[in-house]
Amino acid sequence: MRPSGLALAVSVARLGFRRQFAYPQAALWGIVTNGFFGVLRIAILVALFGARPQVAGYTVQAAVTYAGLTQTLIAALALFGWTDFMRAVHRGEVVTDLLRPHDLLGFHAAQDAGRAAGQFVLRGLPMLALFAVGFGAVWPAGVEGWVTTVLSLLLAWALSFAFRFVVNCAAFWSPDAVGIGRFAWALWGLGCGFLMPLAFFPAWLQAALAWTPFPGMLNTPVEVWLGVRTGGDAWRALGAQLAWTVALYALAQAVLARGLRRLEIHGG
Amino acid sequence: MGRAVIMLGDLRLYALLLRAQIRSQGVYRVSFALDALAAALITATEYAAFALVLPRFGSLSGWTLGEVSVLYGLAELAFVLMDLLFGGFDAPNLSAHIRSGSFSTFLLRPAPLPVQVFGSDFALRRVTRVVLAAGILWYGVSQVAVPWTPGDVALLVGSVVGMICFFGGLFVIGGTLTFWTVDSVEAMNVLTYGGRALISYPMDIYGSLLRRAFTYVIPAAFLSYFPVLHVLHRPLPDGLPGWAAFVSPVVGPLMLAAAFAFWTLGVRRYQGTGT
Repeated sequence: MRPSGLALAVSVARLGFRRQFAYPQAALWGIVTNGFFGVLRIAILVALFGARPQVAGYTVQAAVTYAGLTQTLIAALALFGWTDFMRAVHRGEVVTDLLRPHDLLGFHAAQDAGRAAGQFVLRGLPMLALFAVGFGAVWPAGVEGWVTTVLSLLLAWALSFAFRFVVNCAAFWSPDAVGIGRFAWALWGLGCGFLMPLAFFPAWLQAALAWTPFPGMLNTPVEVWLGVRTGGDAWRALGAQLAWTVALYALAQAVLARGLRRLEIHGG
Repeated sequence: MGRAVIMLGDLRLYALLLRAQIRSQGVYRVSFALDALAAALITATEYAAFALVLPRFGSLSGWTLGEVSVLYGLAELAFVLMDLLFGGFDAPNLSAHIRSGSFSTFLLRPAPLPVQVFGSDFALRRVTRVVLAAGILWYGVSQVAVPWTPGDVALLVGSVVGMICFFGGLFVIGGTLTFWTVDSVEAMNVLTYGGRALISYPMDIYGSLLRRAFTYVIPAAFLSYFPVLHVLHRPLPDGLPGWAAFVSPVVGPLMLAAAFAFWTLGVRRYQGTGT
């Protein structure tokens, strides 16, 4: 990105942030729906724990916080899927994007950063407050706990965006990439620990998922938040998130370049 | 006699509409296959997340995986079948038809309006979910150690029919509300998708306030929880009489009848968007 690129990215992000506040009513219903499902998930977790004080390093309170936090992050991390770029390709809007003198991936990243921040403020924070008051959530411990949690959350967003973008690039090759997207989002839900904390899964599944970028997209920041991972363990987890982020961005950049070349050949 | 002929004609029309959609959805084969696989994957991952985790905890407040699978499979099977049948009434679909003006064309055609809406959005890709839901139910039934009587089987079939009618009724109400609001009604999602999720697990896990609300205010507990309690020889909560387990096939159709009464009212008031 050129020197003016950063200023441009900031203003794009700010626009993406402000756009989220255009439909406050939709956000309110989002909170109601996500809150309701959160209560159901908490009921299941509490019933699973029964009288056990601790399972796989989680207390009941930590598990409840996990459910609340993941519900809080649905909108910000777009855990149910994201098809903005897919649509831009299908409608041909990506061609006008190309005329602009900026890096396409960076432009969309900035826009999504604004979107994510807006959703976090609008939907995430009220929901977090709701779960904290209603169910007594656990908070990060100490300065290091907060620092690692915030960094891990930012990396989780970056990872989730890179993954979503790669999936959206399928639109260059398929006239109906929505199916590919649905497939990817379903795998993501299980792999990132949205449906259940990964620590509760059988060892073989945890070992398999450790080789994928999925845990870094949700499971890692929540475990850092809960203090399941602390100190060196937490920093190593952040390192893994960072490595996957770099790798997925490189992949996104490569896939995008091939997709755009294909677009030129077809004259789209 | 005359009425029977009309009904037969409606069925033929419905079958024609479905065939047209099934053929159009099969055009992009690879994409369709992936979409169908993805639809099943959503159910599979959600169920797997629970089934893989349960052994670590032993049981869900005294319910084994097999027992929960009966509840889960019943709810999922009924909901997916309902979605196939009533998809046209779902608020996002119907509001799209209203905004594009195609709903107004439905009104002009010399065919019954509900039949056209029934046949307007048939998502064939969901068939994989039906198979998977039936598989989960089958697994659950094979795991629970109770003697099965023909009456038990009839009760579970009645429970599925009751749930199809109940949730179908909610879809019809949600769709009717879009006559007034145009935007899809998100609040209905809590009742439909939320209701499905709620009754997929034994309802004694939800604190008494939530459980009572979904028993006496919104009668979701009658749909499958009570029938399953009866089949598993478990007592009903709150000292409810035994016949409460057999109410599902009645509650559902009543709900559907009320929903269609509301629909008729909505259609009469409908003015279109001027598209």
